[in-house]
Order: sequence, then C-alpha cells, then structure tokens
Amino acid sequence: MRLAGSPLLDALCGEYLVGTLRGAARRRFERARREEPLVAQRLDYWESVIAPRYTKMIEVQPSAAVWSRLERELSLSRYRAPWHQRLGFWRGWAVAATAALALAVGVDLARHEPPPVQIAQLTGKGELPVVTAHLSKDGRTLELHASRPVIAGPAQSYELWLLTPDGKVLSVAVLGSLDARFEVPESQRPRLREGGRLAVSVEPPGGSPTGRATGPVILVGPITI
Amino acid sequence: MLDDQAIKALLLRTAARDDGAADAFRRLYELCAPLLLGVAQRIVVRRELAEEVLHDAFAKIWRSVDTFDPLANQPVAWMAAIVRNRAIDVRTTHDVARVDSYHAMLDDDPDGSLDRLFDWSPAADDDEDRRRAAQWLRDCLSRLAAPERQSLVLAYEHGLSHSELASHLKKPLGTVKSWVRRGMSSLRLCVESCMSGQAR
Repeated sequence: MRLAGSPLLDALCGEYLVGTLRGAARRRFERARREEPLVAQRLDYWESVIAPRYTKMIEVQPSAAVWSRLERELSLSRYRAPWHQRLGFWRGWAVAATAALALAVGVDLARHEPPPVQIAQLTGKGELPVVTAHLSKDGRTLELHASRPVIAGPAQSYELWLLTPDGKVLSVAVLGSLDARFEVPESQRPRLREGGRLAVSVEPPGGSPTGRATGPVILVGPITI
Repeated sequence: MLDDQAIKALLLRTAARDDGAADAFRRLYELCAPLLLGVAQRIVVRRELAEEVLHDAFAKIWRSVDTFDPLANQPVAWMAAIVRNRAIDVRTTHDVARVDSYHAMLDDDPDGSLDRLFDWSPAADDDEDRRRAAQWLRDCLSRLAAPERQSLVLAYEHGLSHSELASHLKKPLGTVKSWVRRGMSSLRLCVESCMSGQAR
C-alpha cells in the first residue's frame, strides 16, 4: 500500500518521530520512507519543525571498548594514511614513537591526572579557528583544542613551534590535526615555563625538513603561565 | 552544545572515504558519543544495552554517511535519530520496563524534564529562523494540555510505547493513544502557525 497519498501520513510521521509507532507498523513506515520519496520528504519536514536539541547535561562517557570494536569491525585503518606517508621518512620514526607513547600513556594520564592548565591561546586571520594549548600539571603533556576541527590535507602537516623569549625557534610537534595531545620533548619542558610564544606553521607531510618553519605561520599566541 | 558546523564538516570528511576519513570519524565519535550514549541510555536503561546501541548506531553512521544531506542544518539531530531508532528496536526486544527501578526512573515532571533534556537557547551559529524555531517549539509544548505533553516527553525521552504509557500513567490505552496523536498534531500545527506569523 502506498503511504504517500494517505490521510494518515502526518499522523504516522508524528508517531514515528516521537517513537510510539512500533513493530510491523514501524517497519512498514520505514520501508515506505525508503521507497516513496514523498514519505521521506514529509518526515524530513516534520523533523525540521520538531527538532529539539539535547543539552550536554545528558552526556554519559562510553567505555573505551565501544570505539575499539568499531575501529576493528569497520576496518578503519584502511582510511588512514600509512604512518610513513603522514610523517615522512627522515624523522617519522621518532615522531611516531612519541605519538605512540603519548597515546599509550594518554589513557592513564587522562584518568589519574589533575586537569591540565591553559597556557596559551593561538589565533590567526580570517576563518582560522582559535586553538587553546593546555599543559598537564607535570609539564609533560600538551593538548591542543581547536574551536572547530581542522585536519591537515594529505600533502601537508601542521607543526607547532616554541618561540623562546631569547629568540630560539624549537619544533615541539608535527600534527595531523589542530586537535592533538602529545608528550612534550624532555628538553623543552622547562623552556615552556619560561614564557615566549607558541606558533603553528603549515609544512610538508612530516614537518619542516629544515628544522625551521618553511611554510606560512597560521596561528600564534603568547604563553601565559 | 555541539557545534553543528564542525560536526557537519566531520560527517562530510567521513563520507569522502579518503585518508582523513578514519580520523574525522574518530573525532566525530569523540565529540558526539557521550551525548548520544545519554540519549540511548534513557531509552534502553541498561548501560550495556546503551553501549550496544551506540556501537550499532555509529556503525550505521559510518555506512550510511553518504546519505547525510550536506544542506541539512542539524547534523546532530540526524545522528540522534539513528540512535533513537536503534534504541527503540533494542528496547522492544528486551523487556526494559520489567527492570524494577524502571518506573522510579521515569520523570513525572515533564516540564522540568523538558528543560533538563533539551537546550532551548539559540546556538551561536544559528540563523534567525533556527533561533526562533527553538523558542516556538518550547512555547508550543507549553501550550499543550498537560497529559499530552507528559505523554510526548515520556515517549520521546524514554521510548515508551502506547501500552507502557497506559500502564505508567494508569489510563486506558485508547486515551493515551489519542493524547500522543493529538499532541504531535497540535505541536506541528502550532509551530507551523508561528512560522507563518499568524500566531504572534
């Protein structure tokens, strides 16, 4: 039976949306939604009229097992650039090892550590997001949070630099995304607390081949500890 | 509140199925999974069932992300609908209402529940229409008769069926069925008349 012309269409859309349409009737409606464009269109309309937004108050943290299962079952690794492409050969191993370490200790750190402290806000021109940098209490882990997600294209990466007050430029990390969490190289931990600035530049995949920024600096902000 | 524009960008990147798809999907999960687990848990009650729903829903989001309409303004609502549908399916195959604590968990204060569950304030990136639509919906809900409003909130928030509503509210099945049907219909007509500017 076609639902599109039925006088019950609106009532069914309402019942489906609120969730009281059940069993065989629900399955019939879902089939009609797939097969009859007018039904899909009418339901879309209902959803646009009655579209409340949930508050953050209802959030519940899922256990880590849910994501690991998804990652395995959907073979997500196929949709990720291999590490040697993403990080570059010349320094890939060191960066990958650091990233793996950060990932491995990250879970534990997140559970037991006091919350990290914001140490800088990096801003750029135009459409660029604002990125905040947070340092863990022990000064070992730096987290970047972007006001909207930005992921490096396949032919680039982002590099985070520390500009020390005495004029040195030190590479802190090579990033695939402006949201990141990583271990600060040991030699730089005391320096981060001396002030200066943090900056992000756009570099070839794997980061700057020269040890200095080679691409445009897109974000910069003072360290305030 | 989740940033709709950012979520939309992540959905589109996931749909692209390129080298960045897995990372975008992971970020999408990190941002939205806690909220969506909250939605699922209100319907299936048990934590392990809710995580099962979350898993199934994200697997479906991954597989059907190409059907997400890039022009749609409400990507979180698109994902929440997938979660609610899956939760309702799971709820019907597990007899959730038999859990002892179940009735105690249900909210008998639908008005309080409306404001705890939903955010009616406009989002920063809302356009004027969306801004007003949220307010209209809230106003229209408060204009419904109290039993209609309570039925809709219980059905939407906790996934109660007609017969579960009847037993929880201790009313005949036919009565609650007409509350739900009339409630949804009045709600739509009320929002529509606000939209066309007739009600104000």
